[in-house]
Amino acid sequence: MNTVVQTCYDDKVVLRLIQFSVFWALAAMTVGVYLAAEFIWPTMDFGQFWLSFGRIRPLHTNGIIFGFGVSALMATGFYSVQRTSHVSLFLPKLAWFCCYAWQLIVLLGGLSLLAGWTSTKEYAELEWPFDIAITIVWVCFGIVFFGTIANRKIRPIYVSNWFYGALIIVIAMLHIVNNLALPVSIDKSYSLFAGARDAIVQWWYGHNAVGFLLTGGFLGMVYYFLPKHAEQPIWSYRLSVVAFWSFTYSYIWAGPHHLHYNAIPEWVQSLGMVMSLILLAPSWATMVNGIMTVSKAWPKLKSDPALKFIVLSLAFYGLATFEGPMMAIRSVNVVSHFTDWTIGHVHSGALGWNAMVTYGTFYFLVPRLVGRELYSNTLAHWHFVMALAGTLLYILSMWAAGVSQGLLSLTVDSLGEPSFAFRDIMSSMKPYYALRLLAGLIFLGGTFMMAWNFYKTLKGGTLVRAEIPTVPEEWRVRSNPRVSHSTEVQA
Amino acid sequence: MAANYNLIKVLLAPGEVIRELGRHNSTLAGQLKHSLVLLILLPPLFSGIGGAVFGWRLGANEPLLLTIEQAVVISFLYLLSLGFGFFTTVVIARWMGTTYGASAPLDVYISFFTVVSAPLAVASVAHLFPHVFLNVLILIPALIWSMALLYRGLPVVLQIPPERGMLMSSALVGWLLVAAVSLLGITVGLWTIGLGPAIRI
Repeated sequence: MNTVVQTCYDDKVVLRLIQFSVFWALAAMTVGVYLAAEFIWPTMDFGQFWLSFGRIRPLHTNGIIFGFGVSALMATGFYSVQRTSHVSLFLPKLAWFCCYAWQLIVLLGGLSLLAGWTSTKEYAELEWPFDIAITIVWVCFGIVFFGTIANRKIRPIYVSNWFYGALIIVIAMLHIVNNLALPVSIDKSYSLFAGARDAIVQWWYGHNAVGFLLTGGFLGMVYYFLPKHAEQPIWSYRLSVVAFWSFTYSYIWAGPHHLHYNAIPEWVQSLGMVMSLILLAPSWATMVNGIMTVSKAWPKLKSDPALKFIVLSLAFYGLATFEGPMMAIRSVNVVSHFTDWTIGHVHSGALGWNAMVTYGTFYFLVPRLVGRELYSNTLAHWHFVMALAGTLLYILSMWAAGVSQGLLSLTVDSLGEPSFAFRDIMSSMKPYYALRLLAGLIFLGGTFMMAWNFYKTLKGGTLVRAEIPTVPEEWRVRSNPRVSHSTEVQA
Repeated sequence: MAANYNLIKVLLAPGEVIRELGRHNSTLAGQLKHSLVLLILLPPLFSGIGGAVFGWRLGANEPLLLTIEQAVVISFLYLLSLGFGFFTTVVIARWMGTTYGASAPLDVYISFFTVVSAPLAVASVAHLFPHVFLNVLILIPALIWSMALLYRGLPVVLQIPPERGMLMSSALVGWLLVAAVSLLGITVGLWTIGLGPAIRI
């Protein structure tokens, strides 16, 4: 039986995942804007349960994190692991299964949330049938990713793969443990954990979903695409490896800071706070590494609008990873917790960091995948301006609203009674919510412009077949190279 | 002609001031230092008067009034924070400048950041009536104006290519956002551990 080694990368699945990611960005951000409008006009649910805040809020968060975010991470993970391993994807059909099965989970999971199915755990609201489906697809994602690395032709495993690898392993661990539950019907299950222990497990999951998916996974994206984009090696490879291990070690402890002043042991709260503060060091190590790498690539800014997104995303990454540890300090948290300051913090990360770095990466990838110029650099420039304006407006309005809420709710009269009723505080927030709605509309408008730009870029184009380059002798894997199913095509 | 430059010129024709600074005009730099003293005094002054006379309106109906003593102490701390923030920004910008190919003296940075901060300092007149949303509405356009001055002016003043200026401005925006949220966090932290004023309602 003759075999022919596959000479091209599998990029079709990458492009399809990017298309799905952009679709979910549009859908989930539109839902977010609708939610923002409900804060001003609560009757916008028109008496329909499925339009109520309690149901469409998890639709928004799940759509963004799992639809937009994970699709983008799968796309960029599949793209970069091939290039850094110098082989095509391991089991490419399994990669296609991951692509479509994941979209089906997001779609049906979203509909189940609208129908009122919920486990009530934040960012883990999907009920047990979806939890099992997610586990299966995630394991398949891991098989494709780690199989490709195992087949690599080049000896070192580049640092971006460490971050993507941590994403896959840690999210699997968190998802399985946090969703251990006893099903009582197709749409309802009860957690195996109870009381304060349930809360601790939930926020061990919740915080590390932010850590290893929205931070670690996207850092993998930065470490591969930023040097590629800038055509510069990473400023300090050693720093990136140190940052990876210190990030992985310290993040996993920080979850209890979500439970300050709650019914969990005080030492657990203190541990969460201290580890959150330590976390600043590896986070900023990456930010410095990114900024220094891009600082040498300034001539590229003339012709490349996408690099601006990545530059700004690093600034917002610096902000979000500073603000988070600061808000984990208990004397700050007592004001910020349960207020819109937290919402502003989350969006400084989600809009300023995750969305911007993804947009920058997509602007880099889409034209290259089809071998064409971007349809409109001007449109991309205006998208950048709108994304920046929307993010800043969002953060500032929520800072002002959150600090007002926190201080008003802590103000007491001479008898020690709260001076302001919760209802009065909330009813005074409408102007801030109007600003937030405006910010969301601006950001969403920019995302629609990007989608149109991609549509016009891709229209009529065909995928470029990117050839796998040969690896120089000194970098080759020394042991007997393993030849996998993916690198062979039976002739 | 350089003597004609003053605070009004900084506000009405910042482009002209920035171009002049780009030529490293030392007379202008000296004049701008005097403007800086005035600009840095404005926000604490306005906030002190506003807090004591009209009271802070955080959104609910009743204003939170400060005593004169409290207003003076808070305004003084505000002044210290602004001064510290301004000079650390100048020092950090100069330190960053070497990465982006700039070699301007410290005076140029001080003058440039005086121009950049002018819209925000003047817009702090909103502190006279410290309704949070009113302040947000007035300070956000001022912030946009300041950011535009930073992005457009920095490469001109430091005589570096616009692309390098964009990168350096973005790094500075990152620093300024962190500084802003630090101020927020420190204030809230001090307040909750009991260093804030007792509020009269």
